[in-house]
Amino acid sequence: MAMKKNQDSQLVMGRYRLGQLLGSGNFAKVYKAHKVATGEAVAVKVLDKDAVHRSGMAEKVKTEVDVMRRVRHPNVVRLHEMMATRSKIYFVMEYASGGELFARLAQSTRFPEPVARRYFQQLMTAVEFCHSRGVYHRDLKPENLLLDARGDLKVSDFGLSALQDGRGGRQLRGDGLLHTACGTPAYVAPEVLLKTGYDGAKADIWSCGVILFVLLAGYLPFNDTNLILVYRKITQSNYKCPPWFSVEARKLLARLLDPNPRTRITISKVTANPWFQKGLCPLTTDKPLDLWETSEVLGKEKACRCRHHQRDDADADADADDEENTRKRKRSKVTVSSPPTVAVRPSSMNAFDIISRSSGLDLSKMFDEEHRSEARFSSRESTAAIMSKLEEIAETRNLDIKLNKRGRVEMEGGQYCRRGTLVIEAEIFEVAPSVRVVEMRKIGGDSPEFREFYRQELKPSLGDIVWSWQGSDSPPTPLLPPALRQATNQRP
Amino acid sequence: MGCLQTKHASRSPHLLDTREAVALAAETSFTVSEVEALHDLFRKISNSVIRDNLIHKEEFQLALFRGKKQQNLFVDRVFDLFDQKRNGVIEFGEFVRSLGVFHPDAPEDQKVAFAFKLYDLKQTGFIERHELKEMVLALLDESDLDIASDAVEMIVDRADTKGDGKIDQEEWTEYAKDNPYVLRNMTLPYLKDITMVFPSFVMHSEISETDMAV
Repeated sequence: MAMKKNQDSQLVMGRYRLGQLLGSGNFAKVYKAHKVATGEAVAVKVLDKDAVHRSGMAEKVKTEVDVMRRVRHPNVVRLHEMMATRSKIYFVMEYASGGELFARLAQSTRFPEPVARRYFQQLMTAVEFCHSRGVYHRDLKPENLLLDARGDLKVSDFGLSALQDGRGGRQLRGDGLLHTACGTPAYVAPEVLLKTGYDGAKADIWSCGVILFVLLAGYLPFNDTNLILVYRKITQSNYKCPPWFSVEARKLLARLLDPNPRTRITISKVTANPWFQKGLCPLTTDKPLDLWETSEVLGKEKACRCRHHQRDDADADADADDEENTRKRKRSKVTVSSPPTVAVRPSSMNAFDIISRSSGLDLSKMFDEEHRSEARFSSRESTAAIMSKLEEIAETRNLDIKLNKRGRVEMEGGQYCRRGTLVIEAEIFEVAPSVRVVEMRKIGGDSPEFREFYRQELKPSLGDIVWSWQGSDSPPTPLLPPALRQATNQRP
Repeated sequence: MGCLQTKHASRSPHLLDTREAVALAAETSFTVSEVEALHDLFRKISNSVIRDNLIHKEEFQLALFRGKKQQNLFVDRVFDLFDQKRNGVIEFGEFVRSLGVFHPDAPEDQKVAFAFKLYDLKQTGFIERHELKEMVLALLDESDLDIASDAVEMIVDRADTKGDGKIDQEEWTEYAKDNPYVLRNMTLPYLKDITMVFPSFVMHSEISETDMAV
């Protein structure tokens, strides 16, 4: 273990400096660390490779990385990168500086309903998103619910659950009560206990129900000194709500903690539930939440929604300042007045602007089609005509549309804050007096969602104003990635 | 190390040499792990047509255009620049060093210089007016854009700020500074994700703990 000496100054790959040990298990240790170049705090999970081999989990590590890469969501702890040596595997992850949610619960015994609901909403958006990507947590429990610096929920170990080592080693801080429950099946769905084969989605929903109960009550719904009794209580869903639970909360809990997975509530029903919906627009927040009021709306009146503005990390890393600007911009409410006769002065392109757009220079295609988040087309219409077309699309799709500072058009929307709001920026260039090129980029939200929106909605509805779609802009056919995966799997 | 060589020699003749990985990491913005992950991508591309662990031009085109046979002026230029030894193939070292320029953390001047070489089609040390025009026409053609020739002239004129018919390094550097957007294609954010896209290396990495500190 090279780890032991000089532990608080150890440099990993010349890029991260390991610091305080946050937790440890049988073959994994989690450290707080700093990125040397930027000072950014991260969490580094260090796995002992021999132990991974011995326990036959080698293949799992790879699939779990793949899973974690797919679930990028503002309420899910993010995997930044992987590193390895001959004896160790390093998972570099987002650091949730707020610590465990349940540690906070321990301080205040229980949360007032609006606070509990807000955490529950964030939990559900994360779980819903992961399910939409085919990823089930299967081990939702207090230690996996963390808070970031803003007090927003971050679900950790999505995809890592299969790698979870024995729970005995996890002695992180927190309250005694809930942690003594570890090692008992307190959060596990009845069908999982019965080992009859189960639906990961339904099992996760059950766990969310238990978590909601704990948030509201400050104690576990199914608890006993005797493990057999705990089992029985779970399989019968035998719990009692304390008197301060509202009627609506009780009703929802009854649906979440339905012992029959077939009749148990689905996520879409949960998110449509009136009690769940209630808090979705917290306008007065003393805590700095990552939730925004609806800013300027062009054309369409809309109920306010919360904004989980998630920027792709590529952008975010590249221009953290810019993100700050975006935020300010949003808050400063650059209202575009209707009727939408917007004076967009298109940028004029010179030779370099044009050639730098060649698909032959777009090396990103070498990597992964999944990442594509740009579309470009040319048009013979006037800038005003293009603008009004974009506005029309925005209106029918229930998106906000606005001009941002740089004179670009931003479209933003999606159903409340489910997957991190999709934000699309469109820029109109004048190539020649009669030819304009419109470039659309995803600047916030999820790449697969952008492509879906682009293919299903944007492309068909732009129809008549498009002269031609450009260059490589054929529908993404991910020929390479599966082949690549196959190739990597074949490796000894 | 010696043990490593014999252990793996029979299994895979194309295994990445640990020393090479460490050396490449030291030379670029990549970590050793990223170099190892890139090796997976390299193996895939370099064995797609001819199984020789070298990227031939056809293989490069294939990787960029996904099976669609497409001649492209810019792909040819990028290939030539990657092929530092000018022997018609891209070796792993060349691949990593060249991609290193596209790393989000790579120094800006590397990107500026790379782009200049790219656009200096005939390598005269200047991006000449006719080269610019050739590239503009190639792009318009690639995009199925049909634009009047006087408009094309105008587009080319706009780039030649000095109006002397050619653009030198200095002029280009100035221009790139004022218009950072033209260097956008010189940065590949995906490179930061490479260890997650190709994570197999974590199990078979043979990097020692001391190498890791690099």
